[in-house]
Amino acid sequence: MILLAKVALGFGTTVAVAGAYTFHQGVIRIDIDEFRSGGSHVHMWVPAAVVPMALHFVPQQHLRHGGREMREAMPIARALFRELKNYPNTTFVEVTDGDQHVRVATEGSRLAIDVTEPGENVHLRIPISTVEDAVAQLERAASSQSIREHKEGKAERDDDADWQ
Amino acid sequence: MTPRFRSFAACAALAAALLALPLAASAQSSSSSERWLHVRVTSTDSHGESVKVNVPLEMAEKILPAINKDRLHGGKVRFNELDCDGVDLKAILNAVRTTKDGEFVTVQSDDADVRVAKQAGYLLIHVTDKSGKHHFHHHSRHSMKDDADKDESGKVEKDEKPAKTESAVNHESRVEVKVPMKVIDALFSAGKDELDLMAALHALSANGDTELVSVKADDNTVRVWLDSKSATD
Repeated sequence: MILLAKVALGFGTTVAVAGAYTFHQGVIRIDIDEFRSGGSHVHMWVPAAVVPMALHFVPQQHLRHGGREMREAMPIARALFRELKNYPNTTFVEVTDGDQHVRVATEGSRLAIDVTEPGENVHLRIPISTVEDAVAQLERAASSQSIREHKEGKAERDDDADWQ
Repeated sequence: MTPRFRSFAACAALAAALLALPLAASAQSSSSSERWLHVRVTSTDSHGESVKVNVPLEMAEKILPAINKDRLHGGKVRFNELDCDGVDLKAILNAVRTTKDGEFVTVQSDDADVRVAKQAGYLLIHVTDKSGKHHFHHHSRHSMKDDADKDESGKVEKDEKPAKTESAVNHESRVEVKVPMKVIDALFSAGKDELDLMAALHALSANGDTELVSVKADDNTVRVWLDSKSATD
């Protein structure tokens, strides 16, 4: 009986720790509603920790595809999301055009993007720390690509020098 | 509850209060001194289109140095003499800075009024566009008739002139720009061929509540202003 209790305690603790780790970064919430016949209704709650974890499994060559533009944008994205954390519950951009409405805001520690139009509603809630992690990983991939290109360029220049 | 636990709890509460106090004070001071740049575009058409942008200047100051694209590097924009058609902007600025308050440019014509002045530490630029031509072509039935009359006769009849003038006055656009001189000074404080946007933002954040740009046209109004509120209405 005591053995069974110990097993149950171990299992329960494992589940609790795994649950705490999975949800420690919060939850990504995606709500998509298409108001037309056959339109899709997607409502997803994804543990935010999944995103950086999933990025680890994406082949590096796919992450490097962004190229130069991505490398230029990464420091801006990093600075932006780092600063966004200092402004909880703030609406940064709001565009209204008739029935269409777009809102980019922070709600606590989450980035909130809402797009509302007559036929479709999209609501996205992402923990800012998750976006930061994802940006950091993409930045690392971009910088490794940059180093590789630099090395290749140097090797080519060395080859040219040898040939001359 | 044991006395030992009670004393530990009291110590913990005291430590937490001491830690929280400076944090609360800094949060209060930062929120009161925070400066926000607001942009509001409102369209008066049937859709009622509106755009609201709220940017904390402190955030802009942090992000700007991260942007390194084309001529913008480290919060500074490079330009050369060719961009200004050979005009020495720094010399003009120095002249404006050292001059007393007054009107520098006043143009009054049928199409537009322009006024450039320096007043109470601000550079003011006011433009009133009285042409309203875009309106005649796109919206007004009356103005289409005007155009038709104009096409037939080659010029507008004299007796129609008052009607057109009245219409043009109704559809005039006004642009008002008000920039603190300190911001302009900061903008040109970098090297010879550089605009220091970082310094300008910093100078702007030290400024009080100011309406920087106001555009009032037929179909749109644009406002750019600075205050300490994070949101607009």
